[in-house]
Amino acid sequence: MYCVKVERVRRFPAGIVEIEFDRELRGYPGQFVMLNVFGCEEIPLSLSSPRTVTVKVVGETTERLYEMGEGERVGIRGPFGRPFSLPRPGEEAYLIAGGIGIAPLNYLYLVLRGAGIRVKVIHGVRNKSELIYDYPDMEVATDDGSFGFKGNAVELFTRILPESGNKVVYACGPWPMLKALYGVVKERGLKAEFSLESYMRCGIGVCGSCVLNGYRVCADGPVFGGEELDEIFENDD
Amino acid sequence: MPADLKVVISGLEMKNPVMLASGVLGSKASSLSRISRHAGAVVAKSVGMEKREGYKNPAVIGQKCCLVNAVGLASPGARAFAGELEGVRFYSPLIISLFASTPEEFASLVEYFDRFSFVSAFELNLSCPHAERLGMAIGVDSRAVEECVKAARRKTERPIFAKLTPNVTDVVEIGRAAEKGGADAVVAINTLKAMAIDIVSRKPILSNVRGGMSGKAIKGVALRCVWDLYEELSIPVIGCGGVTSWKDALEFILAGATAVQVGSAFYYSYRAIEGIVEGLKEYLGERGESVSEMVGAAHG
Repeated sequence: MYCVKVERVRRFPAGIVEIEFDRELRGYPGQFVMLNVFGCEEIPLSLSSPRTVTVKVVGETTERLYEMGEGERVGIRGPFGRPFSLPRPGEEAYLIAGGIGIAPLNYLYLVLRGAGIRVKVIHGVRNKSELIYDYPDMEVATDDGSFGFKGNAVELFTRILPESGNKVVYACGPWPMLKALYGVVKERGLKAEFSLESYMRCGIGVCGSCVLNGYRVCADGPVFGGEELDEIFENDD
Repeated sequence: MPADLKVVISGLEMKNPVMLASGVLGSKASSLSRISRHAGAVVAKSVGMEKREGYKNPAVIGQKCCLVNAVGLASPGARAFAGELEGVRFYSPLIISLFASTPEEFASLVEYFDRFSFVSAFELNLSCPHAERLGMAIGVDSRAVEECVKAARRKTERPIFAKLTPNVTDVVEIGRAAEKGGADAVVAINTLKAMAIDIVSRKPILSNVRGGMSGKAIKGVALRCVWDLYEELSIPVIGCGGVTSWKDALEFILAGATAVQVGSAFYYSYRAIEGIVEGLKEYLGERGESVSEMVGAAHG
C-alpha cells in the first residue's frame, strides 16, 4: 500500500464527489484501486482518470470521502484488474453508463478521444442532478424525463443504434441495466465489454470474495467480454 | 511414460498431490468447482456454526514475497454455506474446513456436515481463538488439540485432517496430539503471525493490526515443520506454505509431505495448481517415478 494526497475535491449534487490525487497513477481505463480511507475502511473504486476517482455516497466510508479535504492522505493499493481493450481500427465505440457507472467510462473516454477514436456516450440517470460529466457527443436518458430522453440508457441505446457500421459497446452500471443491455448485445450480435462490480476484500485475486460464476471480478475482471459475459449472464449466480 | 501422481490418504483418493488450501478462492461454490478440475482436492474456506462478518478492509495485503491477511474468518455460517455447495458439480474431493472454539463446537459442526454427500473429508482449522485462553489459538494448546480432534473423530468415519499453526514452540508436540486424537493426517502449516506498517500514515495497514503471513516467504519455515513432523508422526503430513512451482511441491514431498496445498500462489495466476500439476507430471514422467515413492526420500 502507498499513500497519495488529495489535491482537489469536486462535490456534485446527488451525493457525488470527484477526488483528485496529487499525482497520476500508472494504470489503464477499467482498472480500480483499493482506496483506504484512514480510520474508516478500504473500498474498491474505479479510476475515472489517471488521477481521480468519482464516488457516490452510499455508506459511512463514501460519506467520509464526500467530506474529504484537500491535503488529506488516502492509502492506495493498485491499480488492479483487467482494463478495457481498445477498439479495432474502424470500430466506433459506444460508452453506455448507468448512474455512477460513468466513472470508469470517463477514463475510457479520455483515452479513446486521445487516440482519435469515434466515441458516443449514453448516460442514463434517475434525474438531471445526477449528471456530472459533459461530453460533446453525448445522449442523456433520465428516468423522470427532467433532461433528454425519458427512459433508461438501454432503451435510448436501442433507439439510436444504427444498423450498419462496426460498433463496440463498453458499459458500466447497475446489474439490471447490464443484464438488459446484454440481451440487446446478444440480439444484435454486438461486440461488448462490461465492467462489473462485486464485494471485494483482497482485490488481488486470492480471497475469493468477489467471485461471480467462477470468475474473480478483481483479477479476471472487472472488465469482461465475449463468452465470459455469456457465462456470467446466462447463469445468473 | 505417464506419470503416477495418484495419492491416497485414509481412503481419500486424489488424482494428484496438489490441493487447494483453505481460505483461497474457497468461499464460493463456483470457484471451488472450477479449481477442482485440476486439483487433487479442494479445501473450502473455513466455516463455523454462525455467520461471521470478519474484519473490515484492509484485510489482505500483497507484498513482495508474501501475503499478510486478517480476513477474520468471514463466513456465511454452516447452514448457508452447505446450501451453496449442495447440488454443485465438483471434479475432485471437496474438503470442508471447520473453525470452532471448543471440542463440543467442532463435534456439532462435523455432525452437521457429515450428512451431506458433497463432503469427502474434514479439515480442522485450529487457529480460531481459544475460548478460555484469550488471545491464543486453540492450536497452541496440545491438550485442546487432542480434545477437539477426538470430539470430531466421534462424529464421522470420513478422513479428518488437523491444520497446525506454526506459532508454537514445538509443532511436533501439537502434531502428536492431533495424531493421538485420531486425525488421519496433519496439514503443516497455517499462517505465521505477522503485520505491516505504512510509514507515511504511520499506522498498521491491516484493520485488525495483526494478521497471518503466507506465500513464498514462509516456505522454509513450512518445510522444516514438515520435515520434523514426518520424522516423528505415523500419520501422513500434508505440506502447506509457499508452494508456488512444481519444484516447491517436490521439495515438500521429499521432506515428507504426502500431498501439498496451494493458496497464495493464486496471486500470480488462476492456473497456479494446473501449472504445478503439469510440472510434476513432466518431471516424474521423464523419470518413470511415482509421487508416493518420493515421499520423504530426502530423509535417506
